[in-house]
Amino acid sequence: MAVPEVTLTHLNRADGSATYTHNGYSIIGAVNGPIEVSRRDEMPEEATLEVNVRPAVGVGSPKERHLESLLHNTLRSIILTRMMPRTLVQITLQVRSLPEEDEATGVNSTLTILPHLLHTSLLALLSASIPLLTTLTSLLIAVPTSSAPIISPTSTELLRAGPLQAVHVFAFAGDRRLLLNESDGAFSYDEWEEACEMAEEVCCSGGEGGVKLEGEGMDVDAQDGNLEEWLRGVVRRKVDWEQRWKKGT
Amino acid sequence: MAATSTTLVLPGDEIAPGALPTGTGKRKTLKLGPGLRHIPPNTIVSTVAGALVTNSKKNAASVEYNSGRYLPYPGDLVIATVNGSAAENFNCLLTPNTPPAALPHLAFEGATKKTRPQLPPASLVYCRVVSAGKDSAPELTCMDPATGKGEGLGLLKGGMVFKISLGMARRLLTPKGDLVLLESLGGKVGFEVTVGRNGLVHVDGGAVKTTLAIGQAIQTVDDRALDDVAQKKLAADVMKKVA
Repeated sequence: MAVPEVTLTHLNRADGSATYTHNGYSIIGAVNGPIEVSRRDEMPEEATLEVNVRPAVGVGSPKERHLESLLHNTLRSIILTRMMPRTLVQITLQVRSLPEEDEATGVNSTLTILPHLLHTSLLALLSASIPLLTTLTSLLIAVPTSSAPIISPTSTELLRAGPLQAVHVFAFAGDRRLLLNESDGAFSYDEWEEACEMAEEVCCSGGEGGVKLEGEGMDVDAQDGNLEEWLRGVVRRKVDWEQRWKKGT
Repeated sequence: MAATSTTLVLPGDEIAPGALPTGTGKRKTLKLGPGLRHIPPNTIVSTVAGALVTNSKKNAASVEYNSGRYLPYPGDLVIATVNGSAAENFNCLLTPNTPPAALPHLAFEGATKKTRPQLPPASLVYCRVVSAGKDSAPELTCMDPATGKGEGLGLLKGGMVFKISLGMARRLLTPKGDLVLLESLGGKVGFEVTVGRNGLVHVDGGAVKTTLAIGQAIQTVDDRALDDVAQKKLAADVMKKVA
């Protein structure tokens, strides 16, 4: 599995931003907040969350509205909204490019892009230093009728896999809680559970939890496709970049 | 950096009790800075991504990060922009698109009900944050409430404002945070630098040329994280431009 490429805090005017490229999907995310909220959306004890998804071509459609509501509900559960009452956290996600074969795979394109949108928004939130309850990792699992399930497939892999029985998207919190599940197709509960366990294996790390001390196996380059390890690597690079002036003096 | 150590943390990471300083003597209670959250009875969880900084001397821990929006904290020195004047306060902005902070008309040195300071919109004020709860608008002051003296706070005249990163502002405001750049420049030209914790620095070098050169030099040091040697070189370049 290819590891997503990330650029953090590259937009000048936004409070936090991230560009994320994986499997042909490229998304720019920007976060502004906490900022002033309009009186209509103000909530007395919580922050308001606004998610905008802009497609690569054309204007937003009901599909984008659907993605927005999925993202809104998932992100709401990981942002500490009660720490910033009567403010607004604005997340804008611009899809920059999709893989060429995206339309041809026949898979619901809401599902294929959802993990990438979730990762982009999380990275942008980290870049904006919005207080979060936990981190999030997400992936797509495709179950073909005739072969073994494919984890985080590219569009070409989906095309080659032949007819698909089911497609699942899972998102896990840092503490292995299941945050979001969207599934499409025909499957039994056992099959779903199997897919869920596979996703958990890739999304969450060893599970010892807690803070690892420096020099204790925190090798940034040793990414074996585990998404949590990948996320730690990204944050390690962000922190190193921010602290680099200390090395000079 | 003798008394401190750093560890990488992500939101939701539990801080192991071993990684936190243990208080001794009268500093028995642990102080938590930005980025950490206490969940009773004794779990400490980080809320942002950054480097965990602990200080065993002060028995304090916090997460250091250099991105995002400035959030006011009581005691911070900030450069506020006056947005308008209400009955008793000036409405000031610390960062764009946030609710205005209140700066009372009487919070200036020597101000009385009869002689109020007149500040037109868009003037810059160097002030201290008095209170900044999450449930109320932040409140600012331009004098020390104990003595009634200005102590360098007040209207910033002339000069220009430059944007710098929050980490750079924090670094410049620490007691030993003087830049080599500014020290070596200061030997040759006269100028005044005011640092606001909200990521702004106000430079007044008399002439526009000097002001611009110094402001841009500070931004360069921030962007490229220049070390002492490179800062000296930059200072020499700046001097050539100015002279």
